Parts: sequence; structure tokens; C-alpha cells
Amino acid sequence: MDYFLHILVLAMVYTILAMSLDLLAGRTGLLSIAHAAFYGLGAYTSALVAVHFGVPFVVSVFAGIVVAALISFIVSLPSLRLHDDYFVIATFGFQMILFSIFNNWMDLTRGPLGIPGIPQPVIFGWKVDTHLEFLELAAMFTCFAYFVVWRITSSPFGRVLHAIREDEVFAKALGKNTLYFKATAFAVGAVLAAMAGSLYAHYITYIDPTSFTVMESILVISMVIIGGAGSLWGPLVGAVVLVTLPEALRFVGLPSSVAANLRQIFYGSLLVIMMMFRPRGLVGSYGFSK
Amino acid sequence: MIPEMQYVVNGINAGATYALVALGFGLIFHVCGFFHFAHGGVYALGAYAAYILTHELGWSIWAAMPCAMLVSSIAGGAIDVVVYCPMQRRRATPLVILIASLGLLIVIQNCLSLGFGDDTKSISEGTVSEGYLFLGARITPIQVATIISLVMVFGAVGCFLHFSGFGRKMRAVGNDPELACVFGVDSESVVFLTFALGSALAGLAAVLAAWDTGLTPVMGFKALLGAVVAVIVGGRGSILGIMLGGLLIGMAQHLVVWKLPSQWQDASVFLILIIFLLLRPQGFLGKPLRKVSV
Amino acid sequence: MTNDGELKLRCEGLSKSFDGTHALQDVRLELPSSGIVAIIGPNGAGKTTLLNVLTGFLRADTGRFFLGQIELTRLQPHKIAQLGIARTFQDLRLISQVSALENVLLARPNQKGEHLLPALFRFGVAQQEVENHKEAMRWLRFVGLEEKADEVAGELSYGQQKLLTLACCLASEARILLLDEPVSGVHPKTIPEILSMLRQLREQDRLVVFIEHDIAAVRQVADVVIVMDEGRIISRGRPSEVLERPEIIEAYVT
Repeated sequence: MDYFLHILVLAMVYTILAMSLDLLAGRTGLLSIAHAAFYGLGAYTSALVAVHFGVPFVVSVFAGIVVAALISFIVSLPSLRLHDDYFVIATFGFQMILFSIFNNWMDLTRGPLGIPGIPQPVIFGWKVDTHLEFLELAAMFTCFAYFVVWRITSSPFGRVLHAIREDEVFAKALGKNTLYFKATAFAVGAVLAAMAGSLYAHYITYIDPTSFTVMESILVISMVIIGGAGSLWGPLVGAVVLVTLPEALRFVGLPSSVAANLRQIFYGSLLVIMMMFRPRGLVGSYGFSK
Repeated sequence: MIPEMQYVVNGINAGATYALVALGFGLIFHVCGFFHFAHGGVYALGAYAAYILTHELGWSIWAAMPCAMLVSSIAGGAIDVVVYCPMQRRRATPLVILIASLGLLIVIQNCLSLGFGDDTKSISEGTVSEGYLFLGARITPIQVATIISLVMVFGAVGCFLHFSGFGRKMRAVGNDPELACVFGVDSESVVFLTFALGSALAGLAAVLAAWDTGLTPVMGFKALLGAVVAVIVGGRGSILGIMLGGLLIGMAQHLVVWKLPSQWQDASVFLILIIFLLLRPQGFLGKPLRKVSV
Repeated sequence: MTNDGELKLRCEGLSKSFDGTHALQDVRLELPSSGIVAIIGPNGAGKTTLLNVLTGFLRADTGRFFLGQIELTRLQPHKIAQLGIARTFQDLRLISQVSALENVLLARPNQKGEHLLPALFRFGVAQQEVENHKEAMRWLRFVGLEEKADEVAGELSYGQQKLLTLACCLASEARILLLDEPVSGVHPKTIPEILSMLRQLREQDRLVVFIEHDIAAVRQVADVVIVMDEGRIISRGRPSEVLERPEIIEAYVT
């Protein structure tokens, strides 16, 4: 039962990651490979602040949000001057640089040794220390992320994001400062990813750089694409499918390294098949083309 | 032994490896207009083919090399025919193709991992030689071979592109696919042969790299990162630019070690990428990037 | 909007070349503050290039241009649009997957809901949406697309899409409209309707500048005709004067 709850918590963490990436990639057309880096920024900031200063959970999450927002501008403002596949390459470069910082700045992050002993959340007296309680907390975070994405996409702000995705020149001609919109959307995506990171850090109570690699970014991209970009359900479907199906492999009794390979072969193949035949994914509305 | 020279020699060697991988990748990028990330997978396939030939069948490296190049070439061509061609007929954008290519890379890498395990294998024969002393630095025979290959290959490809009929067609398709079509160039077959050629070059680079430092399933991904940076730094459509780009990255990586702790090697390469993307996206010698036309 | 006689769009010394072709050569122009101006000329004369430079989508190599006292030369396209200059494109630009109404709503200026916090917390946004909805429908009515408001923009006919882009320009409350071929490719029966719309815009004290190949249309509505050839303005004046000049007819023939 605990194992089942654990999978659900992970599915929710990835749902938040996928939904926030969809705001960028599916709604605004900005495919970022740097999402794992923001996930990691949230996790590391929360972990460091909680471990070194003993601050409450709410403060550590807030710290993660602030750091992610600031760094998101450092990444987005230069990169947003590039378009389409060149933008992707730029975010890729930033992902590798940020990962390098997680992995090599030993004094701050302890590099590959990771940060152990992250305290479990205590929120105004509520001690979150069972799997069921974590599930409740994760559900709250997921609902919050869903609320933010829904509000944005159904507002005039979201209308402009959609216009930018479809025809940025038209949006500019109508007086929209598209750089402001893109940078703001990027920041919101980064902040939500960081919140997922904080949640993850306080849940697993140990983090190391291997959870925040470029392959992790690609996994989240796969969830968005396979589930379907540009919709509220797509990222959820993608996250649930890609988290739970490989777990089913575990029950078949395969050794974990083989399962890890098969899982990647699974979503790698799905990426190819989807892009060839159904770029909109299972339930999405955007196929990354004009 | 002059330590500074060692960094320079190591840098040139690393740069030569990057430049060789980047050449194939860059040719495909120039002719087809998209980032063929699966090139990293094709690269790794060549290395593992050489491994099988030398380890399981006892062939010598010099016999295995052309076969490895053939394997890579066939793999690259197959990817073009089975995946990219249908996508391009359906007018898929470069971004969509990039994503599919990424998926292919992941599949290939994981299949290799399943088949061979994640440990580093090697294809060197016999004892490790101490190498020659050159201007105060040690350089091994493999490294010499890599650098000589670099010069020969770049020279050959450069001549081919500029002086042969097919080379001219490749350049035509790369510069203006629609115009090339008007002039009767069959772009699909030009593209296919570009994939065959570019992938063969990847196979060559892979065997040399495997010979020098061994092979792992993720070697393609690492090589690819370098190739992407080299192509952007060097510029689309310029062979000389790609070579310079590769050498620049190799040198930067190793000179960084001189002043900073060695773990920042990779980050420095990506910093160069970001700087070029922002300040000079067309690279040293390339054409300006496609802009959004009004 | 009140007609401020000072807010004239003017440019001096504008030049632009691409790969050796001189698209614009030392263009000097002062437009009236209201009325209908037509820009004509053979293909490649530089008409669309001039439009792109004046709206900030292309940077001129030399020269400057102003709206009244405000210099527009280095401004981003969205800033120029916010100053009240709207435009259409030769290849119709629209958001094809959403409704005509959504397109026009997009064009409305000064939307509170386009900022992050109001988008999340919605204070006063709903009310502004209702007002914008009314304005959007007003302009759809003006161009005769009221019935099609909820239809997907991509499924409208070519002529209807052109009218929709005009409605978007109007909904942005721009005083100056730069239209790139507003009647070309449109069904002949619709042309008089469009021309009458342009006349109504003149009565609203707006300036309409349009590029056209249809000389009959130009004769019917334009107050001023500007003729361009090979990147230069070769003639300017009333249609009755300009269109009879032999060198103009020759420019079209050669």
C-alpha cells in the first residue's frame, strides 16, 4: 500500500512538472530543455535552506520560488531572442551549465554526494510524515499548479500566449510586448517546477544531482508530448502513463537497470511515433507546428 | 615536459575529435536544416560495431574501421528513409524533427546499454604506448592518428563539396532547397547520401575516440553535445568554421583545466555555446540564421 | 479619438538594401494627419518594405521616421503599434484556430487581464472583458462579419479573413491604418463594400494608407496617390493628376 502511495506522490510531482512545462511549450510554443534545472533549483534551495537554517517548510518553498524566478530571467532574457530550435539549443546549454553547478560546486551542494537529512515538512503544526499525508500535501501542490495554469491560460494573458505560439508577428503588430509575455510565462513555469522540487526534496529527504539531469528534462518533455501539449489534461495523462507503466515492469521481475533501460526505450519510441504520426499526443491540441 | 604544452596538445586532440563528429552533424544540418540528434546514436553504433569486430572476431583495428563506418552509414541512411523522409513529406517543422531525433537517440543508447552493459569497454590492442614527445608534451599514436584523420578528412570533404558535382548539389540544397528543386536537383536523394556520408564520418570519429578512451553507451550523447556547440560556433555551411569550432571547444576545455578545477570543463563548453548564440548566432563563418520573415 | 493635427507620420532619408538590391532609396515622405492615401507601384518597388520599416518590423539602413515629434526609428514593432499605428500583412496573418471574435478581442488595447497578477486574481478583468466584447462586436458589425463572430477564423473565406484583419486593426483603436493590399484577391462584389468602409474611416478622422494594385479602387477612394518604383517615390498627388502622367504608365509597363 505504501508503495502504491509512493507512486502516486511521484506521479503528482511529475504532473506539476509536466503542467508547468506545458505552459511554456504547449501554450506559448517555447520548448525548454532546462526544466529539470529549475526542478533542481527548487530542490537544492529548499534543501540547503532547511538543512542549514532550520526554516519551516513554507519558508523553504518560498526560497525555492524566489531563486527559480531570478534564475529564470537570467536564462530566458538572452534565450528568448532566438526562435524555435535555436531557443531549444540555448535552454539545453543552460541546463548543462546549471547541472554542472549542482554537480561541481562542492562547497555549496556537496556535488555528487548530495544533501541528506532534509527535514520532513511541518506546516503550522501539521507534521507530514506518513505516505498518506504526503499524498495529501502533493495533491494540494498539484491543485495549486493546476489552478495557476488554468487561470493563466483562460485569461487575456493566456490569449496572448496562444497568439505568440501561433503567430508572434501578428501579436507584435497588435501592440503586444511579446518578450514580456514569454519571459513571464517562463518564470511561472520555472517557479512551479521549483515547487515540485521543494516537495520532492522534503519527501525523499535526500537529493543529489542525478535527479536533475538533461535526461530528466527530456522525460518531462516526453510526458507533455505523449500526453498531449496545449491542454489541461495532456500533461496529467503523460505524467501518469510515464510514471506508472514502467513501475509495472518492476512487477514482472526485471532487474532495475534493465527496467530503467526499457522505460527509456519506451518513451523514446513513443516520442518518435508521436512526432511522426500524432504530434498532438494522446489528448493534446498542439503539435509544435504552425 | 612542459605542462602548458600538454594542455595544448590535449586540447587539439579533443578538438579534433569534436571536429570530426561535428563535420558529419554539420553537413546534415546544413543540407537538411534540422538538428539530427540521433547522430550521437549512429556514432555509438559505429564504435560498438568496431568493438564486436575487434573483440569477438579478432579483427585488427584498421580492418574494423571501414566496417564500422559502413555500419554507421547504413544506420544513418536508414533513419533518414524510415523516419525523416516521411516526416518531411508531411511538412514537419525542424522542431518536430528535433524531438523525434532525440527520441531515436534515447532508444539507440538504451538498446546498446541493454546489449552491452554500461561499463566502459576498450578496443585498444596490447599495451598502452607511452607516446612520442612533441614540443614538450606527450602524444600517443592514437592521438596522432586522430589529428591526421582530421586534416585528411576535412581536406577531402572540403574538396568534395567544392569541386565535385554531387558536392555542388549538396551545397545547393543546403543554401536554397526550393531553388535547387527548380534546377532539377533531386533533394531526397541528395539528403539520403548526405546522411550516408555524414554518418560514415561519425563512425570514423567514434572508432578513433573509442580507441583512445574506450566506449560506453552514452558516448554518443557526449560527442553530440560537442558537435552541436562546434556547429553553432563554427557556423552553418562552413567546413572550415566547423573545424575551427571543434578545435576551439577542445582547446577551451583543456585550457580551462589549467586555471580552474577540472570539473568545470563541460560547463565552459556550454558557456561558449551561450555566448555565441547570443552574440554571434551565425558562428565564425556561417550564414545568418533564418529570421522570421514578415 | 481627437484629431491632433500635429501627429503626422513622416520619414526622411530611409534606405534599405538586401544582398545588394536597393529596396528603399532615400525615401522622404510626409503623410497627412487624416484621409486616404494609396501607395502604388510595380512589383519590387519597395512598397511593402516601406510598410515594414514604418511599423518597426524591418530596420532601415539609414534615415529616420517620426509620428509628430516622437521618433519611431529604433522602436520595437509593438511600441509603434501602441502609439496608434496598426497594419495588415500581405500574407494574411491571423490566429486561425480560434474564432473571429477571439482575434478581434486580442487586438483590444490596454487589457488589464494581460498582466500576470490580474490574470491570476481577476480584479476587474471580467468587467473589462465584457466591455471589450462589446467593442469587438461593434467592429465586426462594421466590417459585416457580425454573423461570423463565433466561427473559426481559419474557416472563413479569403475575403472574410481580410475583413477580419481590418476589424482587428480598428479594434486596436489605431488612428493610423497601414493596409497591405486590402482588396486584392477579394471577390469583386465585396470591393465596393470595403471601399465604403475606408471612406467611413476617413470620416472618423483616421488616416488610411493602403498599398494596392487595383488602380480603379485607388481612383475611387484615394485623396493622395504616391507612386513608388525601384525603391524611390517617383510621384505624388491627387489621383486625377498622377494617374494620367505618362511616366507613371510607363513605370508599370516596363
